[in-house]
Amino acid sequence: MTLTRRRFTRHGLMMTAAAALLAAAPAFAQAPSGKLVLYTSQPEKDATQTVAAFKKAYPSVEVDIFRSGTTEVMGKLAAEISAGQPGADVLLIADAASMEILKAQKQLLAYPGAKTDGFQAGSFDADKTYFGSKLITTGIAYNTAAKEKPTSWTDLDKPAYKSQISMPSPLYSGAAAIMLSTMTARPDLGWKLFEGLKANEAVAVRGNGAVLKSVASGEKSYGVLVDFMAYNAKKQGSPIDFVFPKEGAPAVTEPVAIIKSTKNEAAAKAFVDFILSDAGQKLALWMGYIPAKPSIGSPSWLPEGTKINVMASDIAAVVKATEADKARFATMFGN
Amino acid sequence: MSLADPATLRTRVEETGLLWGLVGLVALLSLLPIGRLVVEGLAPGGQLSATALGKVMASPATWTATWNSLTTAIAGTILATLIGGTVALLATLTDIRARNAFTFCFVLPLMIAPQVTALAWLQLFGPSSTLLKLIGMAPPLGSRNPLYSREGIILLLGLQYAPLVFLTLRAGLRALPKELIEAGLAAGASPLTVLRTVVLPLMTPPLVAGIALCFVSSLGNFGIPAFLGIPGNFLVLPTLIYQRLAGLGPGVLSEVAILSLLIGIIAMAGILLQDLMLRRRDFRITTTSSAARPFELGRWRRPVEIGLWAFAILVLAMPFLGLLSTSLIPAFGVPLNAKTATLANYAYVLFEHAASKRAFINSFLMSAGAATLIVLICVPLGYFIVWKKSRALRLLNLAAELPYAMPGVVLAIAAILLFLKPLPVLNVSLYNTIWIIVFAYLARFLVLGLRPVISGYLQIDRTLEEAAQIAGAGLPRRLVTIIFPLVAPAAVAGALLVFLTAFNELTVSALLWSSGAETLGVVVFSFEQGGDSTYASALAAITVVVTVGLMASTTLFAQKLPQGVLPWRD
Amino acid sequence: MARLTIDRAQKRFGSYLALDDVSIAVEDGEFLAVLGPSGCGKTTLLRQIAGFDKLDGGRISIGDRLVSSAQSHIPPEHRKLGIVFQSYALWPHMTVAENVAYGLTVAGVRDPERSKRVAAALDLVGLNGFAERRPGLLSGGQRQRVALARCLVTEPSLVLLDEPLANLDVHLRASMEEEFSRFHERTGTTMVYITHDQAEAMALADRIAVMDRGRLLQLATPSLLYREPANVTVAGFIGEGMVLPATILSAPQAGRCKVSVLGVEAVVRCRPDQAVTGQAKLCLRARDIGIAGAGQDGLPATVERLSYQGGFFRMEARPASNQDIVLHLDAAEPAPAQAGEAIRIAISDGWIIPESVSLDKAA
Repeated sequence: MTLTRRRFTRHGLMMTAAAALLAAAPAFAQAPSGKLVLYTSQPEKDATQTVAAFKKAYPSVEVDIFRSGTTEVMGKLAAEISAGQPGADVLLIADAASMEILKAQKQLLAYPGAKTDGFQAGSFDADKTYFGSKLITTGIAYNTAAKEKPTSWTDLDKPAYKSQISMPSPLYSGAAAIMLSTMTARPDLGWKLFEGLKANEAVAVRGNGAVLKSVASGEKSYGVLVDFMAYNAKKQGSPIDFVFPKEGAPAVTEPVAIIKSTKNEAAAKAFVDFILSDAGQKLALWMGYIPAKPSIGSPSWLPEGTKINVMASDIAAVVKATEADKARFATMFGN
Repeated sequence: MSLADPATLRTRVEETGLLWGLVGLVALLSLLPIGRLVVEGLAPGGQLSATALGKVMASPATWTATWNSLTTAIAGTILATLIGGTVALLATLTDIRARNAFTFCFVLPLMIAPQVTALAWLQLFGPSSTLLKLIGMAPPLGSRNPLYSREGIILLLGLQYAPLVFLTLRAGLRALPKELIEAGLAAGASPLTVLRTVVLPLMTPPLVAGIALCFVSSLGNFGIPAFLGIPGNFLVLPTLIYQRLAGLGPGVLSEVAILSLLIGIIAMAGILLQDLMLRRRDFRITTTSSAARPFELGRWRRPVEIGLWAFAILVLAMPFLGLLSTSLIPAFGVPLNAKTATLANYAYVLFEHAASKRAFINSFLMSAGAATLIVLICVPLGYFIVWKKSRALRLLNLAAELPYAMPGVVLAIAAILLFLKPLPVLNVSLYNTIWIIVFAYLARFLVLGLRPVISGYLQIDRTLEEAAQIAGAGLPRRLVTIIFPLVAPAAVAGALLVFLTAFNELTVSALLWSSGAETLGVVVFSFEQGGDSTYASALAAITVVVTVGLMASTTLFAQKLPQGVLPWRD
Repeated sequence: MARLTIDRAQKRFGSYLALDDVSIAVEDGEFLAVLGPSGCGKTTLLRQIAGFDKLDGGRISIGDRLVSSAQSHIPPEHRKLGIVFQSYALWPHMTVAENVAYGLTVAGVRDPERSKRVAAALDLVGLNGFAERRPGLLSGGQRQRVALARCLVTEPSLVLLDEPLANLDVHLRASMEEEFSRFHERTGTTMVYITHDQAEAMALADRIAVMDRGRLLQLATPSLLYREPANVTVAGFIGEGMVLPATILSAPQAGRCKVSVLGVEAVVRCRPDQAVTGQAKLCLRARDIGIAGAGQDGLPATVERLSYQGGFFRMEARPASNQDIVLHLDAAEPAPAQAGEAIRIAISDGWIIPESVSLDKAA
C-alpha cells in the first residue's frame, strides 16, 4: 500500500483541529458521562494531549490515565485479568499483536458501530475489536556524521556498516517483534537480512529510545528506528536523519480497543469514536504522527510528496510466527 | 501467685504482642506477595498446573540466565566489597583530611539511577566520549563498546553497590573502641596486622551484612544488565523475566512468577551462607569508649587522598556530569558549547510540567516515609531476631530478602494481584492510591534497613539492655530509651539506603502509579521513553541537587543527634 | 526472714547441667559471695536470680515472692533488684546523671526528688562533679562508681554484683573493696557478689557459696570455709590447701584426732562424728606445717624450689615417702634450707575432710 502525504503546517493544523473539535462536539446525541480508565503506552506528552482533547469533546467524562511502557501496561493488565478485574476501560497501545493476544483471551469488546470509513482495510480488526489510530513506521536513522546514506534494508548488510548498527531488540519490544516477523516473512529480505546484521555485529538494544540515543550521540552511526522519534530529534537539532527504505517500512498502528469488562461502555465507545473521528486523527497529525486515515493529511516533518511504502503485514501470521522468530533471533544474536 | 501478678502479665502481653505483631507485619510484607506469586506460578486461575514450571525448567535460557546471574552477582559483590571495604577503612581509620566531605560524596552515587550510571560509563568508553575525545583517544565511530559484556556488567555492579558495603562497614567501624586497636599496636603489631587480626574479625557482622546486601542487590538489578547485557544478548534472570513479560503470551505471569522464585531461592541461599559465617562467634563490643585515634598515613596521606578523591569523582561526578551536559542541550547528540547551552529543559520540568513537581514531592514523601517506617519496624525486629532468637522471625528474616531480590516489576505484579480487590473485612481499596506504592516500598526495601540493624545488634553488648531491664524498664521503654539510641548509627545507615534507593526507584512504581501519585522514576522513565532524554536528564539532575541539599541540611541539626548517627559526620 | 531463697535450682543448656540442685538462703542484709572458677555456674546462678533466663527446676524467691520456677517466671524488670555488671553496662548515649537517674525515671520519680536523689547517689560514690560527663570519658574506676550509684539510687532490697572488680587494677580493687564494704554497712542492703577471686570474697562476704561444675560445694563463713573445707575441691580451691591421704588412728576427742600421714603421726582437727578410717583425706595449709625443730619428729623431704614473698619464703618440698606430692610451707628469713637440701617437716595442724569418698569422685 502506498500513501502520498500533503503537507500541513503545525500552527495552521492546531487551529483547524480546535475548530473541528468545537464543530464536532454537538454532533454526539446523548453525551456519555462518568469515569473512564485509559491504559496507554503513548509518550507522556501525547497521552496528556489526547485526553485533554477528548475531554474537550466530552466534558462530562472523567478520564483516569495509566501510562507506561507497553511491557509494563500489558503486565499490569495481565495481573489484573488474572485477579479477575481488569482495571482499564480502554486501551491504546503500540501494536496490534498485543491486541490479538487479548482478543484471543476474549478480553476485548467488539464495537461494530465504529466509524471506520476512510481507513485502510488493514488498519483495523475485521471483527471490529481494535482500531489503528496512526501509522508508526520503522526505517533507518543515521548520524549526520555517518559516511554512508542508506536507502535499503539490505544496505545494512554491507561491510561499510560493520559494527555501526543498533536496533530495538524484538525480545524486549513488541513493536520490534512485529517488525522481525514482518521482515523475515518477506522473500526479498527474510532471515538473510538478519544473518547479515549479525555478521555486521549489529547490537539489539532495549527500545527505540535507546536506539535514538546511540545514533544521536554517535555511539552507532545507523539505527533501526521509528519515524517520529528520529524526526522530532532532528527538528530539535540532533545530528540525525532518517530514511524510509525502498523495500518498505514495517509499521505499527497504535490501536485503540475497549476492554470487555468495562463498566462505562458508552464513554469507552465515545473514546474510540473520538480517536477515529477527524478531530482525533487531526490531533494525531498535529502531534507529529501519520494519521491512520489518509485523507487527514501528513505531518510537517514529512518532506512534501514523500511516498511511504508501508510494508504489508498479516497480523494473524505475525502472532503465529512471533515465538519461533524470537527464539531464532535469540539464538542468532546470543553469545 | 506469679500468674496473677498484673505487672508480669502486662509485660508478657506487651512482649508477646510486639513479637506477633512483628511476625504478622513481616509476613504481610514478604510472605504474602511471595505466596501470591507461588499461587500464580503453580496454580494460575486456581487450577493446579505444572505447565509453566515445566516450561521454565526445560528452557535452556533459564539456566543460562541463572548462571550469568550467579557469576555477575558474585563477581560484582566481590568488586563492590573490595572497593567499599577499602574506602570505608581508609575513610574511617586513617588521618585523611576532609573525611566527612568524602563520605558524603561517596554515598551519593546510590541515588543516581543505575541506568544513568550505565549510560555515563557507556559514553565514557564509547566513540562519543567527551573525555576520550579531549585526549584524542576516542575510538572510531561505530566501534564496539567494551562495556557491552559480562565484565562490563560486573564492573558497573561493583561501582554501583560499593556504597552499600561502605555504609554498613562504616557504621560498624565507628563502634570500634580505641582500646582494641591500641592494645594491638601496643602488643607490637603493625597497623596492617592490627587491621587483619583485630579490626576485620570484629567487623565481620557489618562486612557480612554489606556483602549480603550487595549480593542481593546485584542479583536483582535490572538497569545495568538491561543497558549492557541486552545488546550482547547476555541474559540474566531479571532481564529474562522482562523479556518473558514482553512476550505477552498466555501464562506469562506464571512463568514470570517461577523465574522470580528462582531468583529468590538464590538470594536466600546467599543469606543462609551469611548466617553460617556469623554463627558461633562473638562480635560484641562494649561501646563506652571514644572513637579510635586514626592511623597516621604519614607521607602516604596525600597519595591516598588523591586516589580516594579521584575515585569519588569517577563514580559520582562522571555520571552526574553526563546528566548535567545532557540536560543543557536542546536535543540529544548536539554538542554542548556556549552557543547550544540552554536552560529550556529545566524551565520545562520546573514550570511547565506539573507532574514533575508532584512526582518530586510524592517520591520524597514516600521514600522518607518508607525509610522511617522501615527503621521503626527493623529496630524491634532486629531485637527479636538477634537477641531473643525468635524462631518464627528468623525464618521471616530470610523471606524478607525475596521482595528485594526479584525485579521490581514482579513485586508490582504481586501487589496488583493482592490489592486489586478491596481489602477483605475493611472493604478499603489500596489500588490506585499511593498506599499500594508505600506497601511495595516497605516490602521491597525492608531488607535494606534490616541488614545494617542486625549487624548493629550483633555488635552491641546486651548487658546494656539488661541493665535497663533491671532498672525496671519494660520492653517498649527499653526500645525507645536504650536500644534505639544504641543501634541508631546502624539504623540510620539503613534508613539512608532505603531513602536513596526508593527515591530513584522506577520498576515498582512503573506499574503501580496512578494519576496524582506519580513518582520521580515514572516521570523520568516517561520522558526517556518518549525520546525526551534532555527533559529526563534535567529532572534527574534537579533531583540529585535537591537531595544533596536535603542531606547536607541534616548536618545542621546533627548536634542534637547521638554521635555517629550521620555517616558523613564524625 | 530470708531475703533470697534459692531452692534446688536447676538449669540446663542442651545436655549440659549448668545448675545442679543449688539451694542457698540469703539472710536479709547479708553479704553473700558466690565463688568459683569460670564455668562453675555462678554467672548462670546470677542470671537466674535476675530473671534473664528461665529456670528448668526448683524455685527462687525474693522475700516471700516466688520469682522463678519451672512454671512461672517474673521478668527482670519486675524483680526490683539492682545489678552491677562486670562490663558496667553504662549507656554511652546518656550522661552520668542520666545513667543514674534512669531507674528513678522508670519508677515515676520526678524532679526535684529525682535530681536530689541522683546528686546524693553521686555524692556517695564521690562523683558529684561528674554529673554531665559521658561515660566514655571516664576511667575504669569512675565507671564502676557510676554503675554502683546507678544500681543503688533506687534503693533495691537486693543487689547482685557480677565480678565488679574484674576489670580494675590492683590498687583500685582494694579501694573499691572498701567502698563496697562501707556501702553494705551503711545501707544494710542484701548483696550477692559473684567472683572468682577468693581474696575478694573473703574480705567482703559474710558467707561464701563455693560452686563448681554447676553444684554448690559449700556455703559457710569465710573463716569456716578456710578452716574446715567440706570437700577436696573446696580444700584445694580455698587457700591453696594440700590434700593428702591419711589414716585416722583414734576417735575424735574435743574436735581432734590422731592421724598417720605419709608415714608420720600428727594430731589434727576433725568433725566430732568423724569415723575411724584408713581412707581419710587430710587438708593442710602452708601455715600448718613447718621445718621441724631439733629433736622434733618430722617428715623427711627434699626442697625443690624457694620463692621470696617479702619477709618470708614460700618453700616447695617433695616428701621422701611419696614423690608425687609437693608440699608448700612458709619459712622465715633467712632461708633455713636451699633447693636440693633435705629437710624434715613437722605437721602442727590440719583438717580431716569430712565428705564421703564417692561424693568426692563425683564432683
